[in-house]
Amino acid sequence: MISVTGLSVSYGAVQALRDVSFGAATGEITAVLGANGAGKTTLLRTISGLVAPRAGTVALDETTLTGRRPEDIVRRGVGHVPEGRGVIAEFTVEENLRLGAMISPMPLRDGLDQQYQWFPVLGERRKQAAATLSGGERQMLAMARALIAKPSVLLLDEPSLGLAPLVTAQLMHTVSELCASTGLTVILVEQNAKSALRIASRAVVLYLGRLVADDVAEVVASDDQLRQYYLGMVE
Amino acid sequence: MSSFLTSRNVADVLNGITNGVIYSLVALSLVLVWRSTRILNFAQGAMAMIATYVGFAVLAPTTNYWVSMVVAILAGLLLGGLTERVIVRGLYGKPEINPVVAMVGFLLVLESVAAAIWSTSSRGLPTPFSMVDWQLNHKPVAMSPFALYEIVTAVIVMTVIALLFQYTKLGLRLRAAALAPEVSRLLGVRVGRMLTLGWMLSSAVGAITAVLVASNYFTGLTPTAMDGVFAFGFIAAAIGGLDSPVGALLSGISLGIILQFVGDYLNSNAIILVALGMLVVSLMVRPNGVFTRSAQRRV
Amino acid sequence: MRGVRWNQRIVAAVALAAAAVLASWIGVGTARAATGLSVAAVVAILGATLISSREFRANHPVVARAAISVVAVDVSLTVTGFFSATVNSNLAIGAAMSIVLLGLSFLTGSSGQISIGNGAFMGVGAFTVAIWANHHATTPIAVVLIMSVLAGGVVGLLLGLPATRLRGPYLAGMTLAFAVAFGAILNLFGSWTGGDSGLQLPHAVNAPTWVVNFFTPQTSSLTTNSVWLVDVAIVTAGIALFFMANLFASRTGRAMRLVRDNDVAAELVGISLPRARVMAFIVSAAYAALGGGLWTMINNAVTPSTYGFALSITILSLVVIGGIGTIPGAIIGGLIYAFSANVIAWFTAHTGLNPQGNVASQLNGIIFGGLLVLTILFAPTGIAGFVRRRWLAWRSR
Repeated sequence: MISVTGLSVSYGAVQALRDVSFGAATGEITAVLGANGAGKTTLLRTISGLVAPRAGTVALDETTLTGRRPEDIVRRGVGHVPEGRGVIAEFTVEENLRLGAMISPMPLRDGLDQQYQWFPVLGERRKQAAATLSGGERQMLAMARALIAKPSVLLLDEPSLGLAPLVTAQLMHTVSELCASTGLTVILVEQNAKSALRIASRAVVLYLGRLVADDVAEVVASDDQLRQYYLGMVE
Repeated sequence: MSSFLTSRNVADVLNGITNGVIYSLVALSLVLVWRSTRILNFAQGAMAMIATYVGFAVLAPTTNYWVSMVVAILAGLLLGGLTERVIVRGLYGKPEINPVVAMVGFLLVLESVAAAIWSTSSRGLPTPFSMVDWQLNHKPVAMSPFALYEIVTAVIVMTVIALLFQYTKLGLRLRAAALAPEVSRLLGVRVGRMLTLGWMLSSAVGAITAVLVASNYFTGLTPTAMDGVFAFGFIAAAIGGLDSPVGALLSGISLGIILQFVGDYLNSNAIILVALGMLVVSLMVRPNGVFTRSAQRRV
Repeated sequence: MRGVRWNQRIVAAVALAAAAVLASWIGVGTARAATGLSVAAVVAILGATLISSREFRANHPVVARAAISVVAVDVSLTVTGFFSATVNSNLAIGAAMSIVLLGLSFLTGSSGQISIGNGAFMGVGAFTVAIWANHHATTPIAVVLIMSVLAGGVVGLLLGLPATRLRGPYLAGMTLAFAVAFGAILNLFGSWTGGDSGLQLPHAVNAPTWVVNFFTPQTSSLTTNSVWLVDVAIVTAGIALFFMANLFASRTGRAMRLVRDNDVAAELVGISLPRARVMAFIVSAAYAALGGGLWTMINNAVTPSTYGFALSITILSLVVIGGIGTIPGAIIGGLIYAFSANVIAWFTAHTGLNPQGNVASQLNGIIFGGLLVLTILFAPTGIAGFVRRRWLAWRSR
């Protein structure tokens, strides 16, 4: 379980997060929703240690993560698939995965086989440079690269960005299956609230750095006010 | 056939290769640091020179060439690591001229300190192999055991670096840290440590180069021995593209050969002028290097 | 109201000027020296009166800059009359160095580029003066100096051309290569440049006889000449300062600062980026050449070893320590250079180092190199930036 307590982050004079608290339950998908600039990405970056908060803490079960470096936080089982995927384009698919597997307790071969099973297309392109992959394939590679380290928590930043609806649906389905079959805790940041709410069990909504809603996904999805004012969902 | 091997043009090519591998090594050491930290290490030559002094001046009376070489390499590793930790670390993310200025200042400090300790007079190093050219039908071929030793050493260094980067876990981490530092941290790579290691490797390559340069009977070891070599190495690296190790290798050797012809057929004083001209032209035609694909800067 | 304040200013200035003239006539022996001093005092006071008005500075910026330069030159010229020949010769060297530093400061301050080759550009100017003087000994000083500026500009253009497509470390490396290559280039044209031994001027640069006769008809020409050379250097530096101040403030200067801060944005606003960068490079090279030309006149000779790689690094140190990208920084750097040798000699004497020893001979490099690294790490704006910050902090209290 990831617990975020009283988190405040500022970049210079700009306050990106103000006193945000919520919990992401083990084995569940928690969606973090909100418009552009709501502080979603900052939230993930603070959890994984890339950004130092001005106040507040992040804890994984009993361990405090705040104040640790990102390379140590990932070793404690928090995988982060960053905004824009962060695939190293100059590397081959397999090199990207090997990099992710460095901190894995599992033998490399087994880890690779497992990922290729989940994402068969990566197995087909293992020798190809990541630069040649399509957007959806890149997202799969980024996820596989994080998963190969056997994390207990996966932070996903806008996985659907720039993907076709069909690909997005497929991706969301994979995430939901992964979660169900491995007991992985997922924090899913999405602007595309509709598809995120479909697979999430809980959802929190950020607006200008503040937490404005924290509830079961169905409730958030059916709250007209939230949908209109904060999520911009018009039907 | 034998007259061909001893002919003037073949001699130029052979001598050119011997000089060129040195430029390639300097260029390689610059590329190693540039790729990982976006810093052009102007103190590269001076650091290598200090390492060579440590290997040869400090141990001079007691040991043989190979022990000194190893000590020089170790000194290079240490100096590279210290430089990164003490000076360079404070320069990441600063305007791009700050590291330039700092490394030029460091260059001046190193050369002055070396001259203060070991004086400016040239010091001959023991030469492990004869510098006399081999003979073919009583005519010299422009290749001596020493020149061959230089070439072989350069090939070994480059092969080791290439294997390290391409086929080891450490190499993968080093490359990842250079290409995508933030993503690498998220995957557990200790990027700070990788940058230090990159500087250490580069400095060790530099130390080997400086030992080769100073072992040459005609050069010897002086505090400024590496200035000229550094200039040619930089020109090679810039022509080949500071991001490309293969480019560094190729342009170093090509530069060596071309300049040997210039020196032989024109005038030895014209060598660096021609090199400078080649640099200016190549930078204007292919700013990102003759051997790299160009990338556009964006907002 | 404005008129009243002006009147008060002028009354005060006239009173002060009268007092200064009176003091000169009482204090100084000969009538001619007293005339000289009076003129200097009146010019300084009038200039200062103009500059002290904020409205005047805002309404007539160019005239105000001219006034600042005139006052600076005037005061400097006056004080050289009271210094020893040694101090004056140091000052002359330092004034010429200030010109070089102005150029480099402009290059960095306006376009964010750096040159490690300005010692060699100085050499271009130094040899231009020597070569010309050896072929046409009668050409007036001002003309020879302008030719050194032109020569520096042309070489700067040749090397600066890649600046159209490149930036930062690549250019720095190229200028470094030029600095390292300079000795070989001089040798290549050995029949012109005199090879390793360099060139002597055919005759020393002397003060015109009317100047000598006016001020010091009795003293030997040797003393007069030591003052004359420092005066030439100071006047040249003053003119260079005036042009540089205008360049910094001009549309081009502001455009170049935009280039430095964000070149892509500058291009969107419609500033010809490559031209701005190359321009800055040419100006910097031309200024360096002017400084080098003056050095040849001051030393009466030029040797290639002066313009080696070490000089280029020293120039960089001075400009960074003084405060890169600023005009005061260049002047501070020049002053530091003028007296650094004396300070180091004093230091050597007081620490009991063998002045002929290895350590003493390398102190210069160790100190300048060390200060360069420390400045860029801990106070990247240099002395000028530090003083300015203190001043602003003090005023806002």
